[in-house]
Amino acid sequence: MLKFDTILGLAGDPALHERLHGLEHRGAVETIVLEPRDMARHRLRATTDKGTDCAIALARDTMLEDGAVLLLDEARAIVVRSAVQRWLALVPRDAAAALELGYHAGNLHWRVHFEGARLMVALEGPEAAYLERVAAFLEDGRVRRADG
Amino acid sequence: MSAETAQHPGAARVGIGGPVGSGKTALLEQLIPRFAVRGTRLAVITNDLVTKEDAERLRRSGLIAPERVLAVEAGACPHTVIREDPTLNLDAADLLEQRFSPLDLILLESGGDNLASTFSLELVDYWLFVIDVAGGGDIPRKKGPGVVQADLLIINKPDLAPHVGVDLEAMVAEARAVRGDRLVLVTNCRSGEGVDAVVAAIGRDVLFDAAS
Ligand SMILES: Nc1nc2c(ncn2[C@@H]2O[C@H](COP(=O)(O)OP(=O)(O)O)[C@@H](O)[C@H]2O)c(=O)[nH]1
Ligand SMILES: [Mg+2]
Repeated sequence: MLKFDTILGLAGDPALHERLHGLEHRGAVETIVLEPRDMARHRLRATTDKGTDCAIALARDTMLEDGAVLLLDEARAIVVRSAVQRWLALVPRDAAAALELGYHAGNLHWRVHFEGARLMVALEGPEAAYLERVAAFLEDGRVRRADG
Repeated sequence: MSAETAQHPGAARVGIGGPVGSGKTALLEQLIPRFAVRGTRLAVITNDLVTKEDAERLRRSGLIAPERVLAVEAGACPHTVIREDPTLNLDAADLLEQRFSPLDLILLESGGDNLASTFSLELVDYWLFVIDVAGGGDIPRKKGPGVVQADLLIINKPDLAPHVGVDLEAMVAEARAVRGDRLVLVTNCRSGEGVDAVVAAIGRDVLFDAAS
């Protein structure tokens, strides 16, 4: 297990970029891919794509970021990457449906953003679990899925 | 590289959520002596609705120095103080870390919520959600965010299964199915059965015990 309590910089930083690039050519850059919601953690145990066991404990005022470099030496580097956030796009039929859907999503504490007439729901678990919670809306046509 | 820095990275913060009466305080009462045995320097925050009853119960228990237990009054809305606005709890955690530095672990009991409640990852590093068999075997199937998203789901009061007509095995299987690869454990917080596995999970994931 490797322990980390600081972030050395971001992979795109000019100061780090060249050294990382060199290591990359030798296949010596390992990545830890985290779900978007897990990026908010200050302390976690994670495994790199090459199977290295990592224990991360950052100061409370330090945040993980996409590209955070945890380790960079002559032999290898370890970089944190955020997985792409998946969204469920829902389109309410009319204003009444929109009010209902908004209230429902709020009750479920879903993380959302608004994209014009679409309600975008951040998926923090299997999509099926989310669809099930709006099944009644989808069934009677008050809401439909917009893909893409 | 990962050289030991002089600075202690601070205590791991672990949340314990779940409906009222599911056994959160009982779990704390089982966890505290186990962490004491393994030498984990511990403090506790309770979130009661309007009283400090859980905090008082722990302070009187003799399991932990009373001053290491802080109560945050959550008011009518217990999930607000663990998710939307965790300021009170963050302050309480900071205060405990200052007073008892260095601490390894702060356990934070939520005031008891519905199945939709989750913890802010700004507040805790890892959180447990405790449901109990008497609450109904169909709870996992309802896929509440607490049940689905918690780092560790605990199904408590297995001893009551025959009395309330719940098929424990089916309940556990269903919980595993809705949670993918996230951990599910069964505990009896009266007898202590199953609690060692909870300590091991916290030890591995946030106290960073070496792989056993
Ligand atoms: N039968 C049984 N009762 C339990 C168990 N765990 C807790 N209890 C009881 O459940 C009640 C509620 O427990 P408590 O810890 O106060 O619940 P909380 O509201 O979630 O903190 C208490 O009377 C406990 O003694 C268990 O595993 N089996
Ligand atoms: Mg309690």
